[in-house]
Amino acid sequence: MSSLRTVLAGVILESPLVLASGVLGLTASSLARIASAGAGAVTTKSFGTEPRAGHKGPSVVPYPQGILNCVGLSNPGADAMIREIRAYRALSSAPVIASVFGRTVEEFGDVTARAREAVPDLIEANVSCPNVAAEFGAPFGADFESCAAVTRAVKRNAGPIPVAVKLTVNCPGIGRMARVCEENGADIITAVNTIGPGMLIATEVCRPVLSNLVGGVSGPAIFPVALRAVWEVRAHTALPIIGTGGVCTADDALQMLMAGATAVGVGSAVYHGGIDVFQNINGGVEAFLAERGLSSPASLIGSAHAAGRNER
Amino acid sequence: MPASLFEPGLMRTCRIQSVIVHSPSLKSFYLPSSLDAAPGQFVNLWLPGVDEKPISISGMRDGLMELSVKSVGPFTRALMDCAPGDLVGIRGPFGTGFSPASNSLLIGGGTGIAPIRFLAQSLRDRGMPYALVCGARSRCELIFEDELREWGCRFASDDGTCGICGVVTDLLDEAGESGLISVVCAAGPEPMLLRIMAWADGRSLPYQISFERYMKCGIGICGSCCLDGSGIRVCVEGPVLGKDQIAQVTECGLPHRDASGLRLGE
Repeated sequence: MSSLRTVLAGVILESPLVLASGVLGLTASSLARIASAGAGAVTTKSFGTEPRAGHKGPSVVPYPQGILNCVGLSNPGADAMIREIRAYRALSSAPVIASVFGRTVEEFGDVTARAREAVPDLIEANVSCPNVAAEFGAPFGADFESCAAVTRAVKRNAGPIPVAVKLTVNCPGIGRMARVCEENGADIITAVNTIGPGMLIATEVCRPVLSNLVGGVSGPAIFPVALRAVWEVRAHTALPIIGTGGVCTADDALQMLMAGATAVGVGSAVYHGGIDVFQNINGGVEAFLAERGLSSPASLIGSAHAAGRNER
Repeated sequence: MPASLFEPGLMRTCRIQSVIVHSPSLKSFYLPSSLDAAPGQFVNLWLPGVDEKPISISGMRDGLMELSVKSVGPFTRALMDCAPGDLVGIRGPFGTGFSPASNSLLIGGGTGIAPIRFLAQSLRDRGMPYALVCGARSRCELIFEDELREWGCRFASDDGTCGICGVVTDLLDEAGESGLISVVCAAGPEPMLLRIMAWADGRSLPYQISFERYMKCGIGICGSCCLDGSGIRVCVEGPVLGKDQIAQVTECGLPHRDASGLRLGE
């Protein structure tokens, strides 16, 4: 009998699927709905210390191969999100990950201290939002020293709660960046955030569609890039990885595991496959394990690296 | 899974074909639409350079989609300045519609008259009998008054300028007595909807109610419109919800969340 159980920095997930930050993560009810739909853990919408309205519309626009978004870190602030995380505990036993962001290293520390009040299972530092460059400057995740400083600040205030750092491929080298996070105390790497940013133009109007002109790209189009990033992080660090980016099917999730992910983020797939996508991916992964007589996904994690080494 | 080019979520642009001015702050806009829509569904309307907002569909005829809009904020004020020939963006139709049924009691309040008018049009096209009541603060805020009157609508207004002086729920007992009601369909301000649900619950009548919440994506991923309780997404499982779904909602009548996700007053 196969189980889907996976262990992420000591936290037990009954499925490797993790609801990715930014999707349906604003309220306790919504997070609990996704947990009961088959996610092994759920991640809140990234929050800061204060409420933010984010960018005007259009801020989320699908295109045939994926989704562009410039939501822009809209969130109700730490007070409200702490209430939602606490309310979530009454609704679901699946682990919850508090995603936090700051405009400065100090703010990252402050919001982490607030997040800790809610006692989430994990804290994820979002150092890689691509939609706020005009206001925040380049993401912390684009620079080794900045990323190291944020990792230390978050880790310092997280106490016993394990810390994930969510990285971007828009950096000098995501493998080295993951190593920097590891050296500065990170417990988990989440790879990756949306990529780009990208743009769509409405030709009749001759103007970019997104209100912010550009937005992060997610969905099936970015899957191969995210998979490669997970592979590189695995090759450079011993940290567990939440492999995120364009996962829509069980085969995608298996590829993420084989590339080195301990857990697999699912976000945009809710648009492409509905909320049932969690159950569908779980079913496919379970069948794969059962066919091979594997009792859990553990032996798949990073398993493709052996082949990679042999053929080089 | 590959998305079709005609998938509702994708942005399409089109030119406004015509505009009906009900009053300077209340207009109907007609847009060509290759996609059909059901009464109760909505579109995300994009005014380039302004914003994108969800707007419920008030009618569908000969490939033209009708959007009836009241000026209430910066976006709708900008829309009042739009004229035939202007380019706008459309995504949708999104969400669930009302299920057409004979002997429906249709109730529209304020801008909620828009989807109810679409539902009445659709029932008339199918030859299904219905009862119709609509209310507004004042006659000048009523859309389609003449047409609705022709369709047998009873009116209520807060100031007595149209129909009875009172609220639309004052008309329900009378409408309930005039014939057999199979289902109650309503759209409008939430306090009105709560009274209608209580009235229908008292008579063990099923209902379909259109909910309004802050929305961004329209495609069920951003989470802005999720209802406390079972996490229903108003943009996908709604906006029209049935009695069993509403029974799981714990935030009926509370202030709505804003663009940040913060519930006002919290």
